Amino acid sequence: MTIPIIKVQQLSKVFATNDMLTHALQGIDLEIQQGEYISISGPSGCGKSTLLSIMGLLDFPTKGKLYFEGVDISQLSLDQATAIRNKKIGFIFQQFNLIDDLSVYENIALPLRYATHLVNDKQIKEKVDYCLDVVGMSSKAKRRPTQLSGGQQQCIAIARALVAEPSILLVDEPTGNLDSKSSDQIMKTLEALNNQGTTLCVVTHDIDYAEMAKRKIYLLDGQVLGQTSLDY
Amino acid sequence: MSKFVRQHKQAWASLKKKPGFILTVLMTMGITLGALLCAVTLNYLLLVEPLPYPEQDRLFVAEHKLIGPEKETKAVAYTYPGLVHLYKSKQAFEQAAMMIYGQDVIISHSNQPLVNTTYVTPEFHQIIASPMAVGRMFEASEAIDTNNPVTMLSYNTWQQEYNGSADILDEKINLSGISYRVIGVLSEDFIEPELNGIGQETQVWLPWDYNQTGEGGRESFGNISNSLKFVGQLNKGVSQSQAQQLLTPLVSDRWQEGVVEIDFFNGWSVSMIVRPVKDVILGDSESIAVMLLAGVVGLVLIACANISNLFMSRTAEKQRQMAIQAALGATKKHLFKTMFAETTILMFMSIILALVISKVGFYIMQQYLGAVLPRVSELSLNPITFGCAVLVAITFALFFAKLSTRMINYRALNTTLQSSGKGSGLQVSKKTRQVLIASQVALATVLVFANFSLLKDAVKTINAPIGFETENISTLILNFSSTNFPTREEGIPIMAEIMEKLEALPQVESISQSRSPLDGFGVRALTSVADNKNYTPYFNNVSHTYFDMIEQPLVQGDNFTLVDRKDGTDVMIVNQAFAKQLKADGDVIGMQISTGRPDPFKIIGIVRDIAIPGDAATDHNSEALGSGVPRAYVPNGLNNQSFMIKVKPGQLVSREQLGKLLGDVDSRYAVFSFDAASDILTQRLFAEITTAVTTAILASLVFLLAGIGLYGILSYGTQLRRFELGARMAIGATRKHLVSLIIGDNTKAILVGFIGSIALFALAYIGMSEYIQPLLTWQVIPMLLVTLVLIVLVTLFACYWPLRQYINKPAIFTLRGSD
Repeated sequence: MTIPIIKVQQLSKVFATNDMLTHALQGIDLEIQQGEYISISGPSGCGKSTLLSIMGLLDFPTKGKLYFEGVDISQLSLDQATAIRNKKIGFIFQQFNLIDDLSVYENIALPLRYATHLVNDKQIKEKVDYCLDVVGMSSKAKRRPTQLSGGQQQCIAIARALVAEPSILLVDEPTGNLDSKSSDQIMKTLEALNNQGTTLCVVTHDIDYAEMAKRKIYLLDGQVLGQTSLDY
Repeated sequence: MSKFVRQHKQAWASLKKKPGFILTVLMTMGITLGALLCAVTLNYLLLVEPLPYPEQDRLFVAEHKLIGPEKETKAVAYTYPGLVHLYKSKQAFEQAAMMIYGQDVIISHSNQPLVNTTYVTPEFHQIIASPMAVGRMFEASEAIDTNNPVTMLSYNTWQQEYNGSADILDEKINLSGISYRVIGVLSEDFIEPELNGIGQETQVWLPWDYNQTGEGGRESFGNISNSLKFVGQLNKGVSQSQAQQLLTPLVSDRWQEGVVEIDFFNGWSVSMIVRPVKDVILGDSESIAVMLLAGVVGLVLIACANISNLFMSRTAEKQRQMAIQAALGATKKHLFKTMFAETTILMFMSIILALVISKVGFYIMQQYLGAVLPRVSELSLNPITFGCAVLVAITFALFFAKLSTRMINYRALNTTLQSSGKGSGLQVSKKTRQVLIASQVALATVLVFANFSLLKDAVKTINAPIGFETENISTLILNFSSTNFPTREEGIPIMAEIMEKLEALPQVESISQSRSPLDGFGVRALTSVADNKNYTPYFNNVSHTYFDMIEQPLVQGDNFTLVDRKDGTDVMIVNQAFAKQLKADGDVIGMQISTGRPDPFKIIGIVRDIAIPGDAATDHNSEALGSGVPRAYVPNGLNNQSFMIKVKPGQLVSREQLGKLLGDVDSRYAVFSFDAASDILTQRLFAEITTAVTTAILASLVFLLAGIGLYGILSYGTQLRRFELGARMAIGATRKHLVSLIIGDNTKAILVGFIGSIALFALAYIGMSEYIQPLLTWQVIPMLLVTLVLIVLVTLFACYWPLRQYINKPAIFTLRGSD
């Protein structure tokens, strides 16, 4: 077996409010291998988005270990986490999180502009054009996000997530804000990406879409209730 | 009631999570509203509140105006016999009093304090119904020509000099060799009408008969004095103009009789001016008070604009909470009430602080502006202040609540929840925000630069070299406590013995029988004998040791000698400025200068210029200031009653010690005044020191306000961009990227602000070029650069500070929009 892209061991996350503690995740163990397509599903509040945020270094665990490509990254600083996120992780959100003031092209180019290694404009153009092509949005490059439909915006978000050639795409409820037709199209795009070798981890509460994954993980009350076996 | 309490409890619970916000609003509004309450109370006192005397509408001062042959006003001052004539005529006034102001030393007191004295006829205290703490006021037994040696003390004199002694009415006090029996002490509540200038405070009241006017002065219609006053209660039914018409011929005719033999007054006349006591006391202070109020209102408006920005930011922060309230059925009215509860709490907290600050402000005004503004001793927290405070608190609470509620786009608020917190229900456009930033920067730059300019000038004056020594030097001026003045011949040996004893004191390093230059120069009309040109330099009579003691170097010629003083030789020393005025090359040794006496003075030396703060050129043809002021010195007599005492470093001589020394030489002499030259210098620099302190405080305040204003608007802008910032963080933007982004986005507005400030400067230059032109020197450039750097730093801080709450936390916090 190869080194997993992401490995979590006994991962816990506790949210503290004024007078109570909420255990969002409790002792999660999970590995994601290169090229996998995993879905994480479960009822509302089960901790799936929290788990995805921690795996994507948007948040930090309260307890437990997190390994990225074999390196323990549980104790990273904010800046170190940002650097890894920029280089190795692609994120796709339910709300798309595109920047309205920037064109589609500039939205997609943004991760490259933030890259710590120098990427020149020519290289950026090549990469952005490629990603636009992958999601079938080449004609929309000069548009503003507000001029696009929800499905088109999510396609742009996918292109943005792909542009830095990350090791893994973390996808949080990608169809939550879309109609069924757009949702199907997005899920097919994601599936196609996986078929081309992109590692995918999708959080969804939609059973049908969860079933499209090659490995399914089911969470309940912050714990892994069950998962299909590893095929690798 | 319970609803009201619940609403305010909830508002407080919400507010207390933001102590920084509370503190900023509290400090900004507390300080500025404190200043507003001070200014409002002062204006009420000066413009509205009646004087604390009965029938103040009938209280008038009669002034004696001397008019020259060209119908020009020569002076507004009485002659002694003219005043007595007016008083005795009993015309137009139901009751009237004469008064004359002076200073004297209580020689019977162990400390021999110098006190302000006022000699009055008994009607004065009756007219103003002076309240008494102990004893009685003057009455018929102390009327003019009764020669009854009694006195009334002020409350402070009783407390400070006699420790509030219960037996004060058994005391006798001695002034100028006359023993006065204490018959009363004025109440602590007594407010003296400031008829002899602002800040007048009489410590010892004496009957008119004992005023210090000499026999000659009592008869002379040729001598005038500013300290002679006439105040009274007009007859009922007699108007101000009627009184003037009645009194003018009465006084003028008598005066004409008195000066008929004095050619100098040919063609002169007298006119009487009757003015309300209130006008005399207030002078032009009303306009100062109104200007002060206008300035403070401006400051409050700036503070208000800045706090508005903070409330905008606060509303942006509370957007989600309001969206939930709206989703649950809260109307705009409900949201207004929620905001109003918060603003009410904040404004009432601010107003409590403002009341404390205004109390401190009253104290500061009483301590430092007592000589500038009338009636400041009456300033206190009164119903007007409290009423104004409550009104201001409610008005601002309503204003800020309304402003915050108006920002909310109620329809868009409902969609806020549907888009998981993204989007905005607030409606202050990016353009408006940019305009607000630009205007803040422009205003702050102009105000800070203006304050810096004033501060720089004041500091320059304070630190300017004066050209002579003041360290360890004090001036002793003697008081002669007897009615039998010694002749010159009698005085010389006494002064010599005093000098000898002073020199023998172990603390004393040297003595010079002159006053310090800071005790003031006279002005004298001089004529150059060679070309008959007239000059009016500052003039002083000094000892032969004067220049050595103050270390004012002689640059050419000789110093005075003891023989010059003994023989009264007609020699003169001039300063460089006067030398250059007399002769372009400044070589004036040997020149003859006439003072109008038969024998002219011969210039024997030239001393280096000195700069005495506040001394301007006396000659209107000269624009010289400071060290360029022309001065002339002649030797003084050996019977001069002033001494400069230079003590050894670290040593002190007390007033009591000097009093005893003088008493041992001759009991008729006492200490009139004994002041350190450095203290007099500080007093002379009072205006500059006040300007420096005020401008430094104002510059700091402007910075604070600019910082708060910029913080408010930038914080608001950052709040609105929260989800965008979260998205950027999620895709790899570092803290540096985000800080650069915010600064970059605001750079244009900041630059526009700077250009705006230059436009404001240009407008000010066009409107007030005569005032601004002299300030435009190369020195302005570094000051402008410092201002710009400081404003840039404040702006950078205001860009970074609101951002830190997002960039220093995991990205998910910013993305989710909650903690």
